[in-house]
Amino acid sequence: MLYDLIIIGGGPAGVTAGIYAARKKLKTLLITKEWGGQITKAKEIYNWPGTKVISGMELIKQMTDQLKTFGIEIKENREVIDLDKKGDNFIVRDNDQEYEAKAVIIATGKIPRALNIPGEAQFRGKGVSFCATCDAPLFKNKTVAVIGGGNAGFALAVDLVDYAKKIYILEFFEEMKGDLVTKEKLEKTGKVEFIVNAAVKEIKGSKPAPYRAEGSGSGFVESLIYEDMKTSKDHEIKVDGVFIAVGMMAKAEFAAKLVELNQIGEIVIDKDNYTKTPGVFVAGDISDIKYEQLVIACGEGAKAALAATDYLKNKQ
Amino acid sequence: MVKVYSTPTCPYCVTLKNFLKEHNIQFEDIDVSQNELAQKEMIEKSGQYGVPVVDIDGQIIVGFDQDRIKQLLKIKD
Repeated sequence: MLYDLIIIGGGPAGVTAGIYAARKKLKTLLITKEWGGQITKAKEIYNWPGTKVISGMELIKQMTDQLKTFGIEIKENREVIDLDKKGDNFIVRDNDQEYEAKAVIIATGKIPRALNIPGEAQFRGKGVSFCATCDAPLFKNKTVAVIGGGNAGFALAVDLVDYAKKIYILEFFEEMKGDLVTKEKLEKTGKVEFIVNAAVKEIKGSKPAPYRAEGSGSGFVESLIYEDMKTSKDHEIKVDGVFIAVGMMAKAEFAAKLVELNQIGEIVIDKDNYTKTPGVFVAGDISDIKYEQLVIACGEGAKAALAATDYLKNKQ
Repeated sequence: MVKVYSTPTCPYCVTLKNFLKEHNIQFEDIDVSQNELAQKEMIEKSGQYGVPVVDIDGQIIVGFDQDRIKQLLKIKD
């Protein structure tokens, strides 16, 4: 089977690219690990023109429902691990099989950046979480730490403040980076303690209980160690949960043979979404465009699909 | 018997429940944000402080692991 176009990614950029490609009657396959990506974690979206407020989950459901009415081919729950050339065409390989297409759009977005400190991976799901929207209710009357004092960290704290009895927000730099309005709101609850100049070094926890489900090799988070960079002294605080919000990360190594990556791993594109390899287009947060917003990702998806359409036409 | 432990605001829980509905799988939906006893039960069963957790006839699956859920429920593509 030879496709005209393979779209990799099912977030706002990929879904929009899919809608445009379908309307251009391109023989299209969309491969995605999941639908929505980052936007699914947004509880309330106020800047989607035409809709006063909508949850990320609801919006992406509407988008994918719309996409599915066009009848393009879709592979869900598949992670692409390699992209390569084959003559004039491209081979996309996922964890299951490989596909061939005349053009490709990469729209895989970004994932939360990890701290890469001891205990973080070990206690993931055992107190360490990247999604307060998901897990906040499990921390009722508990003490938690939020790592990252930017708006993302503040948003986690806002989700947690209804449940937790105490929240530490730890920021690496000299001051909190998040909006002052939110900071004041958090201060008013009396539950939040802000700690700056804090380099988090380790997450510690308990040994596992005798019976545990398969694959769960440790107990639960019990404390966190950070260094106060002003005094160079280590401090240990007792916490039941650690929520991490230290930015997002691009992961585009699977395409590295055909595209140029910048210093932070984003794919370099021109204004029409072309990469250095004709036929490989990129849309949304995985590209090196400056502003990363829902509405921009959709626009970039549309642009990439139109550029791919022109590319295919000129090739004939 | 299929039990889903979830919270109303968790995107993966919604995706998981939609998936089960699409495949006509009956399940008990347990909102652990409202039910502390069930929350404890979930954490004990799974060794996990996160949602969703699925209990399929005593087999515990953490997160929306579509392949494993398909396998246990014998769902074909």
